[in-house]
Amino acid sequence: MKLEVHLEGVSGAQTRVVELQREGERYQIILDGQPVNADAIEIAPNTISVILDGQSFVIHATPSLDGKLKLQCGPHEFSAEIIDPRVWRGRKQGALEAEGRQQIVAPMPGKVIRVLVVAGDSVEAGQGLIVVEAMKMQNEIKSPKNGKVERVLAKEGQSVNAGDVLAWIE
Amino acid sequence: MFKKILIANRGEIAVRILRACRELGIKNVAVFSEVDRTAPHVRLADEAYCIGPAASRESYLRIDKLMDVARRTGCDALHPGYGFLAENPALPRACSDEGITFIGPSAEAMELMGSKTSGKQLARRAEVPTVPGIDEAIENPEEAQSLARSMGYPILLKAIAGGGGKGMRVVPTEAEFASAWRDAASEALNAFGDPRVFLEKYLIGPRHIEVQIFADAHGRVVSLGERECSIQRRHQKVVEEAPSPVVTPELRKKMGDAAVRLARAGGYTNAGTVEFLVDADLNFYFLEVNARLQVEHPVTEQVTGLDLVKLQIAIAAGHRLPFAWEAITPRGNAMEVRLYAEDPDNNFFPSPGKILSRHAPTGPGIRLDEGVYEGYTVPLEYDPLLSKLIAWGNSREETIARLRRALDEYTITGIRTNVSLFRRILTEPEFLHGEFHTKWLDELLARPKPPVTPPRPGTEEASVIAAALWHTARASSAANTNRTTSAEPSRWKSEGRHQQLDRTP
Repeated sequence: MKLEVHLEGVSGAQTRVVELQREGERYQIILDGQPVNADAIEIAPNTISVILDGQSFVIHATPSLDGKLKLQCGPHEFSAEIIDPRVWRGRKQGALEAEGRQQIVAPMPGKVIRVLVVAGDSVEAGQGLIVVEAMKMQNEIKSPKNGKVERVLAKEGQSVNAGDVLAWIE
Repeated sequence: MFKKILIANRGEIAVRILRACRELGIKNVAVFSEVDRTAPHVRLADEAYCIGPAASRESYLRIDKLMDVARRTGCDALHPGYGFLAENPALPRACSDEGITFIGPSAEAMELMGSKTSGKQLARRAEVPTVPGIDEAIENPEEAQSLARSMGYPILLKAIAGGGGKGMRVVPTEAEFASAWRDAASEALNAFGDPRVFLEKYLIGPRHIEVQIFADAHGRVVSLGERECSIQRRHQKVVEEAPSPVVTPELRKKMGDAAVRLARAGGYTNAGTVEFLVDADLNFYFLEVNARLQVEHPVTEQVTGLDLVKLQIAIAAGHRLPFAWEAITPRGNAMEVRLYAEDPDNNFFPSPGKILSRHAPTGPGIRLDEGVYEGYTVPLEYDPLLSKLIAWGNSREETIARLRRALDEYTITGIRTNVSLFRRILTEPEFLHGEFHTKWLDELLARPKPPVTPPRPGTEEASVIAAALWHTARASSAANTNRTTSAEPSRWKSEGRHQQLDRTP
């Protein structure tokens, strides 16, 4: 199976092509078209041991809400997006995209601490619009659709109740 | 000795106290709020009772509910842990009304020593140094100047009606006194309509060093040495160690004697901590008393070989302190880091949630006091302390090396933790040389982050391979589960159908 892995870390982003060919219990690993001397095993749920040219690595994988995979290797952290040609591309965006004019409401009572967009901005589905703090937690309210910010009603520092309209997306 | 102890707390400290009870063969009772049903202290206790909703003031802070559980379960003692009701004199009072022993100081000693103002007055009476200063207004500048001279520069002038830094002046030398006095007084007059000013000694880069004391009910008070707690983020301790890198045996004796004098003057019993500020010239000044067990008590345990919780229980049961002060000298070095569920890359915001995987460090010189486990959901209602990682060794260098090694072994996924903060602190040259003060960490965090050390060659390739393997395992196992469920019908179901068919009416 051929997978495209888009890896992002502090030092930058890169896209690699990984092919895993099953050989009994193990996999033959081909990286960017070249076979590599690597042995990878999931030794515990979400904990993967990789021996690459004799170098031993342990990687902890955590799926995050945006569909990406967070990887921890010692003190280093990466975010990986895996593109599997067998999986329907459209699913990558998660939920179905909303249609028509959308009102953005506060999901819970709290305080607006950041407004990330202004009227007239073009936004994509899933893009953060407004950050509301509730129970000492910051929650980013995301755009349900691709479109344009029509109006922003929320102001930084304002207290809001659940259901209050914060913005309109056209 | 007690028959059964009620633990009026949660998290790692409840687990810590439970373990002491187990070792002493004392039965124990845990209490929990509705969100803490799955917390480790509930699983480890002999008995556990729900005392109300998540909000602390409706559960862990309800003295009536605690007393009700204690009565129903036949507890003869209560341990408050730290935080929650640990320093509320109403709890020991309620306990004594119920005929239950409170494992801690008396309500009177708590009131006398626990408050900052009465503690300071007591310290003056017990001849324990406090930050030198005159609390009342001084009208005459010449008189103020001679007081300042006797205190030693630098000094700090503060408006009586003050607040927000208005009417406040640091006076570094005597030459600047007169003009600073005029500025402070006129600023105070403009800001508050009151020109009166008082003065206290200004401490430059003070350290926070505290002394662990123990007092039994028979008049013996001992000091178990100091803890260095200067590494603080916004007044919150994050790294603690014993002994302090700057305290000499002479200073240890002087600070210990002062703490013991204060405890005697206050009629204190059980475990307590006397906090001091220590200036660059190693003068120490009383800050406040913590009338309870401290979060950082394990570092004292590691260098003294004592179990402070068991000692607390023994003293509460009327036992005598089994040793003299002379016997207690710190051996080696111990250091603790407080791991919190918070995101150091996002302004240390709390990061509660489910722990997907966890690997705990082990090996020589490592202790982990923990209140979480793999699969546990960290509730958002309480303090985000997950665990305390403690290392000890023969020297400070060995301890730091062990702590760094253990932090590399320690992984928690699913939630964010502040482990990267400790990776940074534990490599800072000033920290390694023991040169820091209470504002050091805040200053460090205000500086730009050092460039990240690049990962060793192969890390990115290994991560890419791991991601691909993770994805492949999930993709194929999802397919497998579907197949097995449809391929193997339930044998119970088929047996039932057979019987139905065989039955002839």
